Amino acid sequence: MEENIGTALVVGAGISGIRSALDLAESGHRVILVDRAPHIGGILSQLDYQFPNDRCGMCKMLPMINRDSSSQYCLRKGLFHENIELLLSTEPVSVQGEAGHYRVALRKKSSLVSEDLCIGCGECIKVCPVEVPDIFNAGFTARKAIYLPVPHRIPNTFVVDTDSCTMCGACEPVCPTGAIRLSEREHRQFRILVVDDELIVRDSLKELLEDEGYSVDMAESGAVALERLSGQKYNLMLLDIKMPGMDGVTVLRKAKEEFPDLTVLMMTAYATVETAVEAMKIGAIDYLLKPFETDLLIPKIMGIYNEFEAARARFVDVEAIVLCCGTGFFNPADGKDTCGYHTLPNVITGIEFERIVSGTGPCGGQLVRPSDGKRIEKIAWFQCVGSRDLQNNADFCSNICCMYAIKEALLAKSSTNGEAETVIFYMDMRTFGKSFQRYRDKAQDEYGVRFENARIHSVVPEDGTGNLLVRYVDTCGKIHEECFGMIVLATGQRPVKGTAELAGITGISLNPWGFAETAPFSLTETARPGIVIGGSFSGQKDISESVIQASAAAACASGAILASGKSPMPESLQETVSPELLREPSRILAVVCTCGKSILAYTDKNMLSEKFKTDPEVKNVIFSERICTAGGWDELVGHVRKYKPNRLLIGACLPYMYGRKLKELEKETGLAASLTEIVDIRTPELRFSGENTGENQAAVVIEHLLGMGLVKLKHAKPSTAPSLPVTRNCLVVGGGIAGMRAALAIADSGYRVDLIERSECLGGNLRWITETIEGFSTQTLLNDTIQRIEKNPKIEVHKNTNVLASFGEAGLFMTTVENSEKEVQTIEHGAIILATGGKETEITAYGHGTSEAIVTQKEFEQRITARSLDPSTLSSVVMIQCAGTREEPKNYCSRICCTVSIKQALFLKKQNPEIAVYVIYRDMMTYGFTETFYTQARKAGVIFIRYTKDRKPEVMVSGPVPKVKCFEPTLGEDVEITADLVILAAGVIPELPAGLASAFGASCDTDGFFLEAESKWRPVDSIKEGVFACGLALSPRTIAESVATAEAAAQHAIRIISRNRLPFGKVTAIVRHSLCSLCRQCIEACPYGARILDTENEQILVNSVMCQGCGICASVCPNKASVIEGFSTRQILEVIDAAICI
Amino acid sequence: MAKTAKIEVKDGDLLFCLREFFRSVFKTGEVTAMLVPMHLPMKQVIMPVLVSDPERLDDADPLAPSFPMNSATLVSRLTRKPSGGKIAAVLRSCEIRAFTELVKLNQGSRDELVIIGIDCMGAYTNTDYRRFSEKETTVTFYRSVLSGKGTAVSGADLAPACSICEHPVPAGADIIIGLFGIDVRNHLLIQGLTPKGESLLSSLGLPESGEPEERRSAIESLIGLRTKLRDNMFDKTAHAVDTLEKLTVWLSGCVNCYNCRVVCPVCYCKECVFVTDVFRHEPSQYLQWAARKGVVKMPTDTVFYHLTRMAHMSTACVGCGQCSNACPNDIHVMELFRTVAHNTQKAFNYEAGRSPDEAPPLSEFREQEFGEVVGIN
Repeated sequence: MEENIGTALVVGAGISGIRSALDLAESGHRVILVDRAPHIGGILSQLDYQFPNDRCGMCKMLPMINRDSSSQYCLRKGLFHENIELLLSTEPVSVQGEAGHYRVALRKKSSLVSEDLCIGCGECIKVCPVEVPDIFNAGFTARKAIYLPVPHRIPNTFVVDTDSCTMCGACEPVCPTGAIRLSEREHRQFRILVVDDELIVRDSLKELLEDEGYSVDMAESGAVALERLSGQKYNLMLLDIKMPGMDGVTVLRKAKEEFPDLTVLMMTAYATVETAVEAMKIGAIDYLLKPFETDLLIPKIMGIYNEFEAARARFVDVEAIVLCCGTGFFNPADGKDTCGYHTLPNVITGIEFERIVSGTGPCGGQLVRPSDGKRIEKIAWFQCVGSRDLQNNADFCSNICCMYAIKEALLAKSSTNGEAETVIFYMDMRTFGKSFQRYRDKAQDEYGVRFENARIHSVVPEDGTGNLLVRYVDTCGKIHEECFGMIVLATGQRPVKGTAELAGITGISLNPWGFAETAPFSLTETARPGIVIGGSFSGQKDISESVIQASAAAACASGAILASGKSPMPESLQETVSPELLREPSRILAVVCTCGKSILAYTDKNMLSEKFKTDPEVKNVIFSERICTAGGWDELVGHVRKYKPNRLLIGACLPYMYGRKLKELEKETGLAASLTEIVDIRTPELRFSGENTGENQAAVVIEHLLGMGLVKLKHAKPSTAPSLPVTRNCLVVGGGIAGMRAALAIADSGYRVDLIERSECLGGNLRWITETIEGFSTQTLLNDTIQRIEKNPKIEVHKNTNVLASFGEAGLFMTTVENSEKEVQTIEHGAIILATGGKETEITAYGHGTSEAIVTQKEFEQRITARSLDPSTLSSVVMIQCAGTREEPKNYCSRICCTVSIKQALFLKKQNPEIAVYVIYRDMMTYGFTETFYTQARKAGVIFIRYTKDRKPEVMVSGPVPKVKCFEPTLGEDVEITADLVILAAGVIPELPAGLASAFGASCDTDGFFLEAESKWRPVDSIKEGVFACGLALSPRTIAESVATAEAAAQHAIRIISRNRLPFGKVTAIVRHSLCSLCRQCIEACPYGARILDTENEQILVNSVMCQGCGICASVCPNKASVIEGFSTRQILEVIDAAICI
Repeated sequence: MAKTAKIEVKDGDLLFCLREFFRSVFKTGEVTAMLVPMHLPMKQVIMPVLVSDPERLDDADPLAPSFPMNSATLVSRLTRKPSGGKIAAVLRSCEIRAFTELVKLNQGSRDELVIIGIDCMGAYTNTDYRRFSEKETTVTFYRSVLSGKGTAVSGADLAPACSICEHPVPAGADIIIGLFGIDVRNHLLIQGLTPKGESLLSSLGLPESGEPEERRSAIESLIGLRTKLRDNMFDKTAHAVDTLEKLTVWLSGCVNCYNCRVVCPVCYCKECVFVTDVFRHEPSQYLQWAARKGVVKMPTDTVFYHLTRMAHMSTACVGCGQCSNACPNDIHVMELFRTVAHNTQKAFNYEAGRSPDEAPPLSEFREQEFGEVVGIN
């Protein structure tokens, strides 16, 4: 069984990689998660605050169901999931095989510091003589060559930056635990033997090669060489052919007899081809001509070294590969117009600004200039630096900069009590995401962020102040000059370093700008089956889009794993608690790790031991060294075997890391993991270190903490880990492209789906769209999808069917549906996906409905398809964007209309180049790589006229053809355009009846779209577990984006229905009915909707799968009728008592 | 405008007039039983009584300056589930406000209930009332109060809670019987405040009337006076308990009898956590505490108990003062609780009993709240 479990490799442990890895792990696959950085979190580890609530929240990605499979704490610090193997400083170097069977070579870069031994004391940085800019702080601060990559990792061990380290060796002797091993540097492990009779040759080669980092020994003759070879393993021998005594060929022959694997490179000043060929026949791999040319020599040796390295790589067999390698950034200093970056100190990039406002940044979160420490009173943001820039070969939009600039402006406001003056200079504010427009309006109207639609002319320094004079041109062509204390450049996306190499290894293709390219109508699939893309690797994305695509990628990877015949891990057996264990008196073993300094500071360990033993339940107290190491842990297991305790108290560091170990311990010795308490005795030591009374104080605190842990353990109850059965199928409501693709993703994973469609045919909006702006045929997509649905035996399609009612929870919902014959059926299902779609808004503004010549985008599309409109008869077409949207009450961007207008404009221009096409717009939302079509449209002669919402265009229909009047800002006057056709971008409205949403326990936002559990981190989930949404019901989206949400929702549903039983979390709430007054405060307070009133039995019921153990119910309940398992009142009061006993 | 009528008073006998009114309420057929304060036989003790026979209302006395318990608890018992009948409850302002809190906590219902509130003249402490009560006390008391001669009778004055009560008018009732600013020698004012009250009032067929201007000014001046006294008390109490040491002194007489909790109308738990095993410490625990500090006051957990009750109940405290009334050791519990409750409720912009539509503060989650406390703005 064991060997048939599927494995996925996830490359990149930023948020997308984490999301993909968790999704795969939660659906039972094994995951190898690698990142070339020494920490997880990717770019997010540098960002403290994220749009739209300007907080973090990464931890919201952690599992909600079966949450004990993963440590539940800050994801910036680490990720510990039982199905995920996390390999840092590691990257793939080769990929062989094909769909379903990939063999990947992974290469780990040694940090030269043993993670097992490093205790993070920092002695090494005191002696390291090398100082380089700290990349984590965007270079604002300096760090040593041995350093902590991020301030918050667990365990936070030091690493050596081998690029800047001089290998002086100063750090090695000061390390108290001997953790630093500079000799482990990869090159150092590559030993070269130089054999030559001429000293000068030997010496120069030794110097040259040692400079490259290799270990070099020398031999002056063949005899000495052979002696050296027998005493030490060498990876390479550089062998002179002509030597007195034994010549090179003889040495080679003898050496090869004894060491057949030895790589030998011959050297000769006057080698004839014959000698070389002879040598190579015997086994030399090549020869070098003297005198050496360094440029030839080094790469040759490098090549041999790389083969050696590659052979040391770890090979893993995986069924799918998810590439979540993230994004890179444009460096303005490399561009045609640098805006003064790198020459003017107060011109910085967006990332650099994030570090300035960060609490762990160079300024401690104060809004001051790192260059001179002055408070920043006025800041400008320049948008599109290296984006939407043909001169820099960047005919694309970078997607996220507009929103992060607004966020940064708001952060500047909030850290100065609103005093900082903030101006954003932009081309179009691309607020195309859900809630983005309101966020922008709030920034402008409530917080006073100024938005300048302008072009920057130049930036020059103001004399002596460090301030910057900005000249810019407004929309009317007028030039202004304004002075700023700081300028923040929204630098555009670039493919992340190594993208091309990775594409070469994996065989995926890249788009014209070098980003990973995905298949038509997919944001995840590549040309190679089983290799998928997640997150920003295919173009920069915000958090919510990244995690959606990461989940979608997980769905595709999961499909590939299952298609290869592998199966998910069997569910772990239910833990049972023997009745004897409950009756047994406690026998506590306390094991305290002594590697920290504070415990050593007790002159008499016996004293602590005696103190423990005053408690009659403590049977043995043992002091141990480094429980965290493999050896230390084995020792602990030995003690458990010897003393046979039934409860175990461990004093050590990093309690989070022990989850898996404790489960293994339980398996090996029978000691219940739930009856083990780990006390963090490390943190107080670090907190008090450096203070005068530090050690004493730390010792006192540690004693208290151990005392607290002891009483907590004494009152701990063995966990019974119950679970709920799961109905293993999914209901999907809505048969548009999103619903169909969600159904397929689930069915392809082997689970049944009931697909409900209220109309008589599947397809939704796809039925009236012919092709996308890229020219992909939507009809082909539609027909293929419907065929796949119809052929799939796991999918039952219910057409002409409506949902009447539903009740239940994750694992089991009962939904009643009714078809057009009024036949009623009840479907049982474990999860539900709402894919009810959306439609074009019905509109009466701009004269729509009063003239045949005024149509919506959909009507135009339909007329063209029906051939009832002939482009050759048209001479002038006006398109009006944002007709009725991006202002209250529909204050959101419909995301797709600008692209549709460009598509239609290009179509018209292609059909009839003589047509004058005018697009009257507010901000063109051609985000991402769609920007290039906007460029094409302008090149094709489409005229774009900007309007503002207080000066809208007017459509007059008095004459035979409509006239459109609008203000042209460049001319500075009103213009009147006679239009044969006016096309209105009416926008998208959702078709998610509030009643339907609430039937499943979900709700709608103010605009009627599905309300997510959390807009960034859980964008397709509802607060109620087991209820998901995708497609237009979620928010306006393109087809490919809708498919991604469908796959993401499917993957989330699979997390539930792939299990036979849903296990409860160990920490969940229960109700003691005899004490309960039924005041129902707990029901209202429960944020997860996990509580209901059972009116029949007059009891409050808790759904233990939905309950996340947050404890809010226990705190609103005045008499502890509602309690959290594992936190009994008695226990906690005693813990508090132990904490304050002085 | 509320529907207003008047009840005729004969011979200045308010009690007779009220008893007749209560009987007439029964006659409408709208009411199955009535909860009303009544003189118990033999001793001059006033207690709430559930009357179903209108002929047995002869000893009803809702005007007596006696307040043996807060009847909100009793109304909760009568209404927490459908009782099969309709109940009228004659309550003081603080009883109505406490009951409003209990309804919010799902401990009672107004569905089959009519609340009749009477302008509250206040009451003496239980000890004082028992000391001098006789048959005529009520009459002496209301004559003195309503003629403006004050609340002091036989050397006693109102209980501390009543003397600072700024809610003399029972605003949350269905029907109010008005005394203040009314010429009570001739008539009492009666107002229907809710549709239910108005409909009952209509079926009584009483002569319509208006609300005299004097009533408003009388109430305003009374509330003004009381508020001033109340704020004085808040200042004094806050000053006296502003450290943990001072609070310990304030509560030093506490013997863990939990009387204050038993009589508190808004303490609604079936069984208080303080009487459970959680606080039955191991004998060795007491010794450990004593060993640690050298001395430990017994009984333990007294301050902890009061702090816990403040945490649980100060959002719902209506200031009825029963806690002080019930304390065997004259601890000024009411002063402490009202002061803390006032500040708690102010912090949440909440007032216990003010409106059935205001959700209890702890049952509502607001993301943007107390930024300075939670550190998130």
